[in-house]
Amino acid sequence: MTTAVGAYQHGIYPRSEDVVAATRGLERGRTTPDEVEAAYRADRDDFVEVQRDAGMDFFSDGLLRWQDLFRPLVGLSGGLDARTLVRWFDNNSFFRAPEVTGDLTVSGPVPAEMADDGDVPGPKVATMPSPFLFSRAAHSDDYRNALMLDLTREVLRPVCEGLAGRGYSLIHLEEPWLPYFGIDAADWGEFEKAVLELREATAGVTLVLHTYFADSGPHIDRLRKLPIDALGVDFVQTDVDELGSGWEIGLLAGALDGRSSPIEPAEETAAFVRQVAEATGAPSLYVSSNCELEFLPRDLAREKVLRLGEIAARVREGLA
Amino acid sequence: MSATLDLASTPLLSHEVGSLDKPGWRTAAYAGKPVSAKDVQDAKDWGVRVGVPDHEQLIELLERAPLQSAEDKEAVKRWASRYALRLEESAGLDVVYDGEQQRSEMYAWAVAHTNGFAWRGSVRAFDNKYYSKAAVTGPISLKEAYHNAEFAFLQGAAQAHLKVPITGAYTIADWSFDERSAQDHDVSHAHKVRLAKRRAARREFILDVARNMIRPNNEALIGLGARWIQIDEPAGSTGPDELDLFAQSFNESVSGLSGATFSTHLCFSDYDLFFPGIEAMTECRQFCVGFANYDSRELGVSDAARPGYVVIKRFRDLPYRPSLGLGVIDIHTDFVEPPELVRDRILYAVDVFGDAARIQVTPDCGLRTRSWDVAYRKLQHMVEGTRLAKEQLGL
Repeated sequence: MTTAVGAYQHGIYPRSEDVVAATRGLERGRTTPDEVEAAYRADRDDFVEVQRDAGMDFFSDGLLRWQDLFRPLVGLSGGLDARTLVRWFDNNSFFRAPEVTGDLTVSGPVPAEMADDGDVPGPKVATMPSPFLFSRAAHSDDYRNALMLDLTREVLRPVCEGLAGRGYSLIHLEEPWLPYFGIDAADWGEFEKAVLELREATAGVTLVLHTYFADSGPHIDRLRKLPIDALGVDFVQTDVDELGSGWEIGLLAGALDGRSSPIEPAEETAAFVRQVAEATGAPSLYVSSNCELEFLPRDLAREKVLRLGEIAARVREGLA
Repeated sequence: MSATLDLASTPLLSHEVGSLDKPGWRTAAYAGKPVSAKDVQDAKDWGVRVGVPDHEQLIELLERAPLQSAEDKEAVKRWASRYALRLEESAGLDVVYDGEQQRSEMYAWAVAHTNGFAWRGSVRAFDNKYYSKAAVTGPISLKEAYHNAEFAFLQGAAQAHLKVPITGAYTIADWSFDERSAQDHDVSHAHKVRLAKRRAARREFILDVARNMIRPNNEALIGLGARWIQIDEPAGSTGPDELDLFAQSFNESVSGLSGATFSTHLCFSDYDLFFPGIEAMTECRQFCVGFANYDSRELGVSDAARPGYVVIKRFRDLPYRPSLGLGVIDIHTDFVEPPELVRDRILYAVDVFGDAARIQVTPDCGLRTRSWDVAYRKLQHMVEGTRLAKEQLGL
């Protein structure tokens, strides 16, 4: 039976038109780095306010300075570079694929892009790439599962330890690769080892693995056995009756579509999330968007976050 | 075979793909803002460097900024077109356009001149690059044939052959939200049901764009004398399960139109995804495709030396034997490819195709993310690399 409901917004949040103009201007020598910094700070303050207004249970900095999900980790790590632009799944959005160029070593506890997270209120949520995604998106001649464990032990684990040390309450691992492209049966064992590394590094921190951009149903039995606190499911792509019942871990319901502009109706969506809670019996429930919101203009993303808070409140009322 | 088709299959013809950065003077003056002394000097320097006839007239115009009249602002845009044409022509390209200097942006310009869309805001494509995204909200129709004025001007200004880039139907639709269709966003409904509705709505939207936006533009351009139209489809492989729809949208945009050669431009995709879907694009005479982004910078003409180009074998084997616009310049880096690297990429492709007449030479994509200085040097090296390849092939 579900006893706890939490809401938060994960992933990269869209930048404002001011940041767009400032970063564009910087590249053309028309604005200064200080002006860009001021624009970023204003964006983050605004996003914190939106999360407050929405009644979020965990606060994110919006990853506003992140150029993609991997770049801050590439910047932090020796032995990684980023050059080739690659499409981010089926979106008009691209990332620079991490390339393994030498021995992996991190130069600090967290990426520079997170250095000024002190004024983001708690409890705080951080977003990281899942080990499986990281290893498959990277360019390397190495055996993929060995690479996955290397990236986990040498990059993700120390960073997750750093995040725990900085007081983060929840670490959200983005994992679109597994449902979208699938996973070989032989790869599960190594993936579980990689997740266990992160579990061991984050005692006392809630660890969520979020699958999205495709149907998680075919993998649900193995996903539910991972050493995590909650599993995220993209309900734009997945039907609730694929999830089974008697869940022993929590469930993150990705119930708002981060890639379409209509704002979902509050009561119908809340009713659906309650149905998910009842069907799975997940002991804890988190409510969020099905994917990061950076595919939306900022004004629409703001509306989605506010609607998310409204839905979470209604779910709580319904389950009380 | 018409003269146009000869142009599209001329061995190792060099051409540009689309956009160039807009000079600071063009942006400021068109916006009605003052033009800095640095930007004015930039206009003087480039006018001399690439040999723009009468560019002193532009300098006089810029020195009057901020400009107020629409006439003056339009004149600034036309000067930007002349500069871009001369940049490409003086770099040595065989086929040119104006770097889309008169357009706001490839998607925004098209949508702004079409009924049925409403703007929603900026969305990031990568790094600090964004595009303005709209939603389709009603029936689609042209407000006006939106490349006519530009093309008519360029016909009189260009010395080299022209190839008109026009954003394709699939890309226009894929980069837009759909708010007009009865899509089902209720996640409590079965995914299969929602997906079927979504696919039906996508098909209707994409083909609506092809029939009522792209095709009438093509007809208008042909009427003005355009002989080569490149349908730009950077979103082409976004939906791997929709390649049949992508191909159909191309065909709906061009089939039965005589008087021009139609090609398409694809970039930054897993190109394997296009097969076998594009086998249906039988009226596409050339695929202009970005490969350098994926390639090594080492010299060599073996498969191992050219990892970014291995997929070209699949384009070679298309049954209707289109030519390949071979992207040899990475447009996302300031690294200026040495001519010898360009040469080896071309030689590799000619060897794979076994026919130099099916290979032409281009950058990976438009160069608008590079400074003019970098873009110019890249294009010059591309042309020099092409010369080296021709020399080695005895062409």
